[in-house]
Amino acid sequence: MSFLDRRIHLVTGKGGVGRTTVAVALAHAAARAGRRVLLAEIGDPEGGYSAIGRKFGREHLTPEPEPLAEGIMGCQLCAIRGHELFVRSVIPAGPLIKAALASKPLRRFLVAAPSLHEMGVLYHILSLLKAKDRQGRPRHEVFIVDMPATGHTLALTSLPAIILDLLPVGPMARAMREGQSYLNDPTKAAAWVVTLPEQLPVSEALELLDGLRSTEMPAGGVILNRVPEDPFTEEERDALALLLDEKPMHGEVAFRRIGSAQISTAHLKQRTSLPVWELPEIFGPGDEEPAFSLADILAPLIAGTS
Amino acid sequence: MSAMTLTRLIHEKRVVVCCGAGGVGKTTVSASLALAAARAGRRVLVITIDPSRRLAEALGVDRDLAEPVALAPERARAVGIEEPGRLSTWTLDPKRISDRVVKRLSRDPAKIRALLENRVYKNITAMIAGMQEYTAVEALHEFVTSGKYDLVILDTPPSRNALRFLDSPTRAATFLDRRILRLFVPGEENRIRQAASRIIEKVLDIALGEGARKELQEFFQLFEGILLHLNRNQGEMKKFFSGDGVSFLLVTSPARAAVEEAFYFEQKARELELPLAGFVLNRSLAWASNRPMPHRSLLDEDASEVEVSALRKMRGLAKPEKDRGMRHLELLEELRRRSQGKGFAWVLPELAAEASDLEALSQLAEHLSEERPQPKRKPPRKRRSKSAVASVKKAS
Repeated sequence: MSFLDRRIHLVTGKGGVGRTTVAVALAHAAARAGRRVLLAEIGDPEGGYSAIGRKFGREHLTPEPEPLAEGIMGCQLCAIRGHELFVRSVIPAGPLIKAALASKPLRRFLVAAPSLHEMGVLYHILSLLKAKDRQGRPRHEVFIVDMPATGHTLALTSLPAIILDLLPVGPMARAMREGQSYLNDPTKAAAWVVTLPEQLPVSEALELLDGLRSTEMPAGGVILNRVPEDPFTEEERDALALLLDEKPMHGEVAFRRIGSAQISTAHLKQRTSLPVWELPEIFGPGDEEPAFSLADILAPLIAGTS
Repeated sequence: MSAMTLTRLIHEKRVVVCCGAGGVGKTTVSASLALAAARAGRRVLVITIDPSRRLAEALGVDRDLAEPVALAPERARAVGIEEPGRLSTWTLDPKRISDRVVKRLSRDPAKIRALLENRVYKNITAMIAGMQEYTAVEALHEFVTSGKYDLVILDTPPSRNALRFLDSPTRAATFLDRRILRLFVPGEENRIRQAASRIIEKVLDIALGEGARKELQEFFQLFEGILLHLNRNQGEMKKFFSGDGVSFLLVTSPARAAVEEAFYFEQKARELELPLAGFVLNRSLAWASNRPMPHRSLLDEDASEVEVSALRKMRGLAKPEKDRGMRHLELLEELRRRSQGKGFAWVLPELAAEASDLEALSQLAEHLSEERPQPKRKPPRKRRSKSAVASVKKAS
């Protein structure tokens, strides 16, 4: 099952690991492979800036998909939109919905209760997955979601089970079962854990994989970002280690990172049987790596089977 | 009042709240700061709300503890903590705090039982936005007033918008707003309102099913008393956070997005009149910016071929590292300008090893507590080749 064959990908990982950059790079790579890509992020209920939008030079994204680049549409997943779509699907139009959704306390309630917020997001995701074009093909073939920090990912993937426990029957239960039919099916969905080749990020990535497993969300693999290149032979490394003990110089921090990255990478690979994709460390302006060049490296990986 | 310094912060404050974007190393900074304060003889508690509980890992204490745990005496001594100094750690469990509040505030045992068994309440942290942050504040208050600690350091949860922490009591209160309650708990309101509630009830019945709607209603009825307490506490908490013994520390990494978030945070904190202590620029190469470039003159006359080629390859790593170091220095200057007269901008190095064990934390603690001058920008030199030679000479 290759990346390109699946419908939805959740790109997750803790803050600061370059998750958004990786999500954008994956979108570029999938678009180059000729797929109609939808790249989305979860909108902050209190507003705020768009991390994905900024990678494409715009301040905001809307809940309605709009073109970001060749083959890539982008949107912000919005809980309120999901709630509206949901209510409209269970109650045939009419003044009842209007009256209910116009109620300010209800709106505040929907925003302030996180699980209801996640439920709105999930419903929005579902509606985008089901959207068809005029020929009846899926409008968005590959749907990539840049997930916010770890906790939120697990909140979303565990939501269907929690809701089904609270409400085993009824329209919301049906919606949650439909959500599960996508998210828990390894031929349709995968979560990708982005992390760094360092000790703590690796242990957190492993923890997140455990968490995903417990929510029955299939994991596609680990994307190891900012892996430093190692230009040295073993003898050279030993010689440098001795020299650096006596004489500090520029490059020392990078040199030491090479060693610790190799240890962490080996540890990760030993602990997981999932594919581990390594992306090199590329420093762009402002300590940010360019997503576009990462897409070159990802292109063959997402086409292959894994 | 004179400007806040990091030393004063460690010695004088009762509460330090570390804020910043996810992934900037807030937890590491919190722990190092705590270690530095404990070394200075204070009884310190670090609270982390980070679900991954990295701090516990770094400090080698078990997770899911009901009460804070102090670092074992022999381990404490190994990192330079002497009596009366003490370093305790605790990771927050929102549900536990919430249960405690329920038990404290409700006098009716049957009501307490009904609430604790309510399915909606069982998912309370998933049900109420800001509950996690709110309970952190509640716990903080409890520990500060217990008299067991001289200093409590709070590591705030990572989130794209780290500001959520600041207005968490407001957010919890938003959810628990009486107007929202009225949706579920019919009162002696006027007839129009009653009609509106009936419509909403009907919609909820269709969407959720009648059973779940009733359970939700029961939850709100039982939680109403707690709500009143939460709302009343809000003002008290605000006063507590603006008080003299409290300081907010903005932690950032050199990454642009993290810095922007720190600036946004700073502005917001000023609006809310929260006492800002200053910035900590973490994982910076500014410390290393004065080092020499790898150069043949660093080797002995009779250096081996391997050494020569290793050093040549090292130049490839050195150039970007030097450039980043210079950028970090500029950033540090900007942070200093921003905090001039009011606070400080401190810089921590990017450690070659991971700051994941006590030894590494202790290294960082040294950087935090020493009064030595921080890296400064050298005056620009005219020619590159000369400066490389000059700095090499200086280093040898």
